[in-house]
Amino acid sequence: MPVVSKDFVPVLIKTGGSTRVAKPVAPRFRAGDHVVVRTMHPEHHTRLPRYARGKRGIVEEDHGVFVFPDTSAHEQGERPQHVYSVRFTSRELWGPQAPDRDTLRLDLWDDYLDLVV
Amino acid sequence: MAEHAHTQPPSDPELRIKALESLLVEKRLIDPAAVDAIIETYETKIGPRNGAKVVARAWADPDYKVRLLADGTKAIAELGFTGVQGEDMVVVENTDEVHNVVVCTLCSCYPWPTLGLPPVWYKAAPYRARVVSDPRGVLLEFGTRVSDDVEVRVWDSNAELRYLVLPQRPEGTEGWTEEQLAELVTRDAMIGTAVVAPPAKGDAS
Amino acid sequence: MNGVHDLGGMHGFGPINPEPNEPVFHHDWERRVFGVMIATFGGGHYNVDQFRHAIERMGAVEYLTGSYYEHWLAALETLLAEHGVISHQDLAARLEQLRSGGH
Repeated sequence: MPVVSKDFVPVLIKTGGSTRVAKPVAPRFRAGDHVVVRTMHPEHHTRLPRYARGKRGIVEEDHGVFVFPDTSAHEQGERPQHVYSVRFTSRELWGPQAPDRDTLRLDLWDDYLDLVV
Repeated sequence: MAEHAHTQPPSDPELRIKALESLLVEKRLIDPAAVDAIIETYETKIGPRNGAKVVARAWADPDYKVRLLADGTKAIAELGFTGVQGEDMVVVENTDEVHNVVVCTLCSCYPWPTLGLPPVWYKAAPYRARVVSDPRGVLLEFGTRVSDDVEVRVWDSNAELRYLVLPQRPEGTEGWTEEQLAELVTRDAMIGTAVVAPPAKGDAS
Repeated sequence: MNGVHDLGGMHGFGPINPEPNEPVFHHDWERRVFGVMIATFGGGHYNVDQFRHAIERMGAVEYLTGSYYEHWLAALETLLAEHGVISHQDLAARLEQLRSGGH
């Protein structure tokens, strides 16, 4: 394993480590699509919060291709896929007493979503 | 490193990290000078004054603002703020119609190059649990009231995109320099729990 | 995993209580935990997803009662042991040494 030296620290900090993957992976969705978040009950690592599972939203933007944490955390590979900014209304997440104007955005990977037809 | 007198026995985490660090150093897996440099960088060199400069430039320069909202990573890099936990930046603009607020419900994700390390409250359970389901109540705790005809938009940073709020420029700052504008911008305004207050009368202009 | 870290929407945690003008680190041990984490991460000992998952595996009670950098410390101990870098036995032995006054 390389050892980070004092001289390398500024380079390390200024460069960081983006998890973007420069691979031509086809997106499953595009802006404007109505999607539903998959229902799942994973024992593995995931970045899909419970409060969003089974909920319906709209794809606002495609952020591009990133490492998939659900596999990356378990040495099962990067499984690169698109990440989308998905918009949910507060009412969809929390019920009819939530303010009707408010919304929430989550960044969701292809594998977390299905298209609503 | 000089030993300091313990008036109480060292705490459990204190001993645990001392044990871990000493073993890593002995096995030559970490360089203690590098560890010190990392600490010093984040304790003294990187902080919300960086983000304030980004905001001030966006307020003063409309072309920069367009670039910032189109590609946050690239525009923020123009000011030299890049790297760890800021590799993929999105800047979200507060307007008369939308008030943005950022959280990481699952852990503590936060844009380090522009804001430094996050405050304890941002990383702790009360904020993380409540801001997604009651953002208006949370904002009131911070003394920030958002009108009912404004949309509150919560961004949960669950992936590797990092979010910075571009607060609205307050009244009474016409003709101010970027340096003067930056001084008004608070960390909480760039998280979205606060707004930037108009300057008191008599402030420099 | 459906751990307690998945806090969005939960009730019962009380007021946020932001500390005014809080320091970046509240204790020297927090500084060391932070620095060691970045150094070992930069050295490629684990990736960020593994780090987060190690925190998630802390145990619900330990997670909720532990402070932020205690989470990081637990993850470091877990990952470095699991990856064969610093075994739990070596760590325990060093801790015992330090507790009994050795430096």
